Amino acid sequence: MLDFDKLDKAIHEKGRLAIMTLLATRVNWPFQDLKSELGMSDGNLVTHLRTLHKLGFVSMTKEVRNRPLTSYALTTKGRAAFTDYLHVLEQIVKTGKK
Amino acid sequence: MNDTSSAADDLRVIRGLMERATTYRAISAPSALLAGLLSTAAGGAVYYNNEVNPVIGRGVRPREFAILWIIVLILSASANAFFIRREANRSGRPFISSAMKLALRAILPNLLIPVAFTLWFFQTGYLGGQELELVVVWVAFYGLALLSTSLFAPRSLTILGWAFLLTSLSVPVLGDAIDNLTGDVPDTVMGVTFGLYHLVYAVATWPRKDGSQPVQTAHE
Repeated sequence: MLDFDKLDKAIHEKGRLAIMTLLATRVNWPFQDLKSELGMSDGNLVTHLRTLHKLGFVSMTKEVRNRPLTSYALTTKGRAAFTDYLHVLEQIVKTGKK
Repeated sequence: MNDTSSAADDLRVIRGLMERATTYRAISAPSALLAGLLSTAAGGAVYYNNEVNPVIGRGVRPREFAILWIIVLILSASANAFFIRREANRSGRPFISSAMKLALRAILPNLLIPVAFTLWFFQTGYLGGQELELVVVWVAFYGLALLSTSLFAPRSLTILGWAFLLTSLSVPVLGDAIDNLTGDVPDTVMGVTFGLYHLVYAVATWPRKDGSQPVQTAHE
């Protein structure tokens, strides 16, 4: 029987799930775009990104053009973890429908 | 809440976020409404002058016709930029977002031929009274520009693109019939496409009062 215990706890948090979802839609996301899309505070977003970075789910790129620009992207490990997470969710839904 | 409904909710949230992040509407409903009204007015004015009552004492000349529609284009594009900026400010998003850059990168190559054709028209094309060719190029490439965003645009914008493209393709076939009907094919095609099509699009995509916006407006 599949249940929520099978879900990756690091991703299964509202804020981090939203971040992982957005990162899965594009090659990379500038910090400001993530912030405006999610409506999170700087501190909250940085904390979640740091957690995901420590787990190896997210990579970070710092560039300096006219001003410093930090972008985030899903790593291969992060994409696989997100795909697995979605798969478990789908299985839970399918099992519940039977 | 049990696991199944909770999982289904999570999937809905994920889907919603993904759609929101990957959808970009290059033309908002208010922009389309304004463009539609301006185009209808311009088309109507030319038709009235050329076919009903020559207000300026003669028919609208080819270059005047082109200039009129370029003014409509400039006003519509300015209004579109204003509405996109307003929406970006309201939602706290950057005006020049990464999605807008993506849309511009897709759209701009489609505008090269219409720009070159328009320059040629002002130099020599107008001498042969080739407004219809100019109109077909404008309509066709506007449709192609919209279709170039179809990978990340809402379906309504893709349909609008197809409507423009198919109309431009149908002009050689339906030209005589339109001429018999209105007596002014270029003006009719411009009025119907940039006027009527934009008005229909505006009505179809206008945000609903109950908040069930058909697809989100111009922002990431």
